[in-house]
Amino acid sequence: MPNIIDVSDLSYRYQEAGSRVLDHVTLSVKQGEWLAIIGHNGSGKSTLAKCLNGLIQPEQGNVVVSGYNTKDESAIWKIRRRVGMVFQNPDNQFVGATVRDDVAFGMENHGVAREEMLQRLDEALKLVKMEAYADQEPHRLSGGQKQRVALAGIVALQPLIVILDEATSMLDPEGRRDVLETMKLLNKQRGLTVLSITHDLDEAVHADRLIVMNEGKVIRQGTPAEIFQHAELLEEIGLDLPFAVKMERLLRQRGLEMTERPLTQEGLVNALWTLRSTM
Amino acid sequence: MDITVNHVTHTYQPGTPFMRMALNDVSVAFPSGSFTSIIGHTGSGKSTLAQHLNGLLLPSTGSITAGDLTLEGGSKRKKKKINFKALREKVGYVFQYPEHQLFEETLLKDVAFGPINFGVPQDEAGRRAKACLELVHIPSAFWERSPFDLSGGQMRRVAIAGVLAVQPEVIILDEPTAGLDPRGRKEIMDLFDQLHRQQKRTIIMVTHNMSDAALYSDQVVVMNHGSLIMAGSPAEVFSRDEALQRIGLESPETMQFIRRLAEKIGTPQPTLSAFTMEDTADAVLKLLKGDAAHV
Repeated sequence: MPNIIDVSDLSYRYQEAGSRVLDHVTLSVKQGEWLAIIGHNGSGKSTLAKCLNGLIQPEQGNVVVSGYNTKDESAIWKIRRRVGMVFQNPDNQFVGATVRDDVAFGMENHGVAREEMLQRLDEALKLVKMEAYADQEPHRLSGGQKQRVALAGIVALQPLIVILDEATSMLDPEGRRDVLETMKLLNKQRGLTVLSITHDLDEAVHADRLIVMNEGKVIRQGTPAEIFQHAELLEEIGLDLPFAVKMERLLRQRGLEMTERPLTQEGLVNALWTLRSTM
Repeated sequence: MDITVNHVTHTYQPGTPFMRMALNDVSVAFPSGSFTSIIGHTGSGKSTLAQHLNGLLLPSTGSITAGDLTLEGGSKRKKKKINFKALREKVGYVFQYPEHQLFEETLLKDVAFGPINFGVPQDEAGRRAKACLELVHIPSAFWERSPFDLSGGQMRRVAIAGVLAVQPEVIILDEPTAGLDPRGRKEIMDLFDQLHRQQKRTIIMVTHNMSDAALYSDQVVVMNHGSLIMAGSPAEVFSRDEALQRIGLESPETMQFIRRLAEKIGTPQPTLSAFTMEDTADAVLKLLKGDAAHV
């Protein structure tokens, strides 16, 4: 699969005298993949996200999105239409009086023809399972529903990639699950590329690939299995570990040797079941 | 200071088409020195209940007793006679995203604002501000800086220091760790655990995080559609997995894991409760071995 985002040697700082928030970052995002970026607060994750749709211009290096460099001012709107973003606080991103108006807002801004717009609107609301709420006021929805409406607004613009910037961190467990299920559907069935910036490591284990950031640098890239093999490194930089990884380690300390290192609760339950049958 | 909630009902926008009963006949006690978590789905009335405890909202009917103060509902209420200031000095409230309320030029001024507002002399307020900033682990090098130069987690801790500087006996926390990274979450929860254990402050926390509710609380209160449907120790509340699931809540991850494992290996659901990772690992060993002994 071709890359749809290429970041090369990207550096950025907010104040000239300040330290680098992004420090020579090089990475790429492949079309159709689910990529998660993890790191603690202040590691540069959100700044990186803002560079990807040209909200921030690199101090050094380049960001290229489906062939367009974010430094090219004439391409900035093409880039933003290809890169949709969902932010942390669902209440900060509503403009429409109804769910339908809100989802239409982005398309109106981009000059989508009315007939086309109506069709995309219905389709987007169906995808996020919010069609029953089309005429409701957005502020009366739950957090998870709000984020799904925000997603519908983005999907309607037919972007290449959706960036979730801590998009589930303010939601309750059910809202979080709802949004993730919706994202999985969009990723697997519609081939939408997903870049998720997250603290939720139990979410991150479901990504195709993980990037670990610390102090503005990319310090690790790999599959979840590869990344979580280095549990100590992640803890050193202040990150938590998925439940199954922590539990497997405690069980190993208590003398249980499993042949694999599961990343999910389900995987660990199965591994223990297998182990028990040989006990 | 004990807080008691007696048959409190709260109706939002009464007499309008938007009328909604946010609390329905809620009775619960928060004993002095206890740590209570209030859990429930979004919109269950948890925050509405918390806002009654320092008089931000007043009951429509029923009453609340906080120390020697009583907040009566409905027609019995004479609003002007309630000494809100005395109540709020004793019952501090840390709102959701408290860092949004920072406003002063320096950290010290911001943290001292609360006590000064309650009539504490400048120099004493300054001393308290320093002590509280130390308590929340903000290095003194930052104290004369603007709060807006800090990271999100640091700003949250400064805002909490501002509530602590008033020296409330009871601290109400509305989702204190929302939006923080794991390290920030742990720092904040350790801080409240310490305030509870060492200084015997009463803590009342509204949370979505079942693990925090299980690990730190003496009492867990479960709200659903404005009603209190369960209250008890974490072990009591989280043993009722099915009842929690019916209202869209989950048990802590540790308990979910033990139940899943028991189900998979076909043993009866264990009655034990384990909320720390260590206890859970021990429980897993027991489950595996206990079963093996029967074979």
